[in-house]
This record gives sequence, C-alpha cells and structure tokens, in this order.
Amino acid sequence: MRFVDEYRDGALGAALAAEIVATVESGRHYKVMEVCGGHTHTIYKYGIDDLLPENVELVHGPGCPVCVIPMGRVDDAIALSGRPEVILTCFGDMMRVPGGSGTLDDAKAQGADVRMVYSPLDALRIARENQEREVVFFAVGFETTAPSTALTLMRAKAERLINFSVYCNHVTIVPPLRALLDSPDLQLDGFIGPGHVSTIIGVRPFAFIPDEYGKPIVISGFEPLDVLQSVQMLLHQLAEGRAEVENQYRRVVPDDGNERALQVLEEVFELRPHFEWRGLGSISQSALKLAAPYADFDAELRFELPGVPVADPKACQCGEVLKGVIKPWQCKVFGTSCTPERPIGTCMVSSEGACAAYYNYGRLARERAAI
Amino acid sequence: MSCSDSHCITCSDEATLMIVTAVLAGALAVCEAGVEVMTDLVGPVNPGDTLLVHAGVAIARVAP
Repeated sequence: MRFVDEYRDGALGAALAAEIVATVESGRHYKVMEVCGGHTHTIYKYGIDDLLPENVELVHGPGCPVCVIPMGRVDDAIALSGRPEVILTCFGDMMRVPGGSGTLDDAKAQGADVRMVYSPLDALRIARENQEREVVFFAVGFETTAPSTALTLMRAKAERLINFSVYCNHVTIVPPLRALLDSPDLQLDGFIGPGHVSTIIGVRPFAFIPDEYGKPIVISGFEPLDVLQSVQMLLHQLAEGRAEVENQYRRVVPDDGNERALQVLEEVFELRPHFEWRGLGSISQSALKLAAPYADFDAELRFELPGVPVADPKACQCGEVLKGVIKPWQCKVFGTSCTPERPIGTCMVSSEGACAAYYNYGRLARERAAI
Repeated sequence: MSCSDSHCITCSDEATLMIVTAVLAGALAVCEAGVEVMTDLVGPVNPGDTLLVHAGVAIARVAP
C-alpha cells in the first residue's frame, strides 16, 4: 500500500541506522522522548530501539491519552454507566482502564449498558436510535481526537438531539510538555513530536521548546522509517548545535495545522483552569471542557457525578514511567502483578502505553538477552 | 477498522489511510469497508480520494 510499504523498507532502515551510528559522539549519552502513544507503539512493534546505538536512549512521555486519565475520572464514568437511563459509549481501551472501583468492562459485566464505539459519530447514531435513553460519550484524546467530538456535538446541536451528552476528558499536548521540561528530575536532549496532533495544531505551538528551553524537536510520522529518520534529524541538530522545530511528517502536517479544525475546537471547547494528569499532577489549562453554547450537552452538568479523587495504587509507578524517569520493566509490579490482562496502572492498558507496548513486544527479547 | 481487545487505534492517536467510495450529504463520506467519515475538516471530497482518518473524521487529505 502506498504511503505504508515504502516506510517499512528494511534496507532503508539499515542505512538510516548506520547514519545514526555515524552521527553520535561516543561517550555522550542522548536521551530522546517521544510524546505520542503511536510512536511508542511503533518503536516497540518494529524494534526501533534495537537499531539504535546503546548511547541513544528513547524514553516514553505522556502521549497515551488513556494513560493520563486519573482514576477518579474513570470512577465517574463508571458511576454514569450505573444509571439505568444511561447508555455509556467510549473507545475500546477506556473499557479496561482501572478506576478505584473496577473498570467499565466490569460494570458492563454487571449489567451496565456500556458500548464500545470507534467514533463519536457512532455514539450519536446510538442516541438517535434510543431517544428514550440518555447516551453519554466518554471523550478522551489529544487535539487529534477532539475535533471529532466537536464536529459530533455540532451535529447533535443542529439536530436538537437532547438525549446526547459528552463526558469530556480531552487534553492538550503543550502544557504537559512544558511541565516535563520544568521537571528537575528529567534531563532530555530533545523530543520526537506528535504527528497527528500536529496535523491539527501545526508545528508552531512547539516553538517554545527550542526558543525557551534550547531543545530540538522533530515532528514525526508513525511508520518505522519515519521514526528512525526523526531520530536521525534530531541527532543532526544536536551534532550541529542547533535547536529547532523540524517537520519530518511533511506529507501530512502543514506548518499551520488544519484551520477548520482549530475553528471548531475554538467554537465547542474552552480550557479548564486545571486538570489532574495521572502521574504528572494538576496542570493548568491543559484540558478542555464544553464551552457555554454547548453546556446543554455537558454530562458533568447534566448528571451528578461523585468527583472523588482517587490516589494511584502505591505499587504502581506509572507516573515515573510517564515522565521517563524509569523504564517500564523497572517498575516493581511490571509483568508480575501488573500485566495487560490484569493491569494495575494505565500504562499497562493500551498497547501504546509504554508498559503494555514493552510487555507485548519487548519482554521476551529482554528475557532472552538476560539468559 | 475497530478497537480490538489488543489495540485501540483511536486511543493510540493513530490515523488510517482510507479511500472514499461514496459521498453523502452533510459533509459525510463512505470509505472502504463501509466506514462513515466526517469530511468537514478537508472540504469537498470525491470517490477515489485518499483521506487520513482518525476517530471517524478525516483530518487530512493525502496527495494521490
């Protein structure tokens, strides 16, 4: 398939890997963070880290939208699903994220009407077909996903579909990046930037990274050669003493993003003053809620929610994994009491979560290496 | 295209290349495998166009 096969060419990958080896300085350690769950998934699935020199370390930031949702918000969704009039709809991975009182999968098994959807548009269709019920869409995701929710809400408003609402947990990428850069326990050399978020917001919002923090960032595509080339571009910047925003994913990402998408986000959402990120704590203006013209569709206003904060399990080190302070396998419960089948932390739920990605694709290789 | 037990393509911020097979009213299109897609963000589309789709919305048009 065009745009896929040519970005998975093994010979080209080997050539890029050789260029990377030639670019790095021996004796220098490079720490590069990717901040998109899709990149984490690609890195582990295709063994990108095995192609890199030992002194180039990839760490996995808070780019998995499922992984950063705090347990209390999951509990609120479970409480919503327990209302007899509610059909709760959500994306696949959210079904398995543990809150303090189980998962939405558990709630479904106990009789709650929880339905997995691919798109918020599917949730809207369910609302049209069940006008005697309240259909709530549990919205998660970064700026890539938020336009889909916004466009669906615009359709619901135009149709005056009063039995549809959104439990909004959309987050934005720039504030957590700034929080990471301000974190004293994190020393990074540069970032691999999120390709699909940038399709929406463009590359300019990332300029603060080189301008204020002196670090390079390369916006990257998601095929294995995209990620390898982005690492190479980043290392070139470091070798030449440059710190810029570069766009490796030009075939999709315009510098200014998608103007229409930015307009619909502006119309439907507004920034929350604060939002709690799992592992990162409260970050100002880092999440979206429904703007006043869409308040009638806000599930947080339509229903009474418990809203009780829940601390992460003590054994879980998702926060340190999300900040790149430790590798997944360095967590005390990784692969023992925390597995994709029975996750304790959110990073083990989605395959793009660092722990699940490593468990699914890297665990056996590491065990073989240890032997 | 679905969120399977092992990998939710929406949660992973993935977008999928899809080819338009039919155009509907209301800024909607049908793509391969019968998937309905909102096309508000990419303007008018025609059968045969290749779109980058995430969570049921085309976020970019890919050059042929």
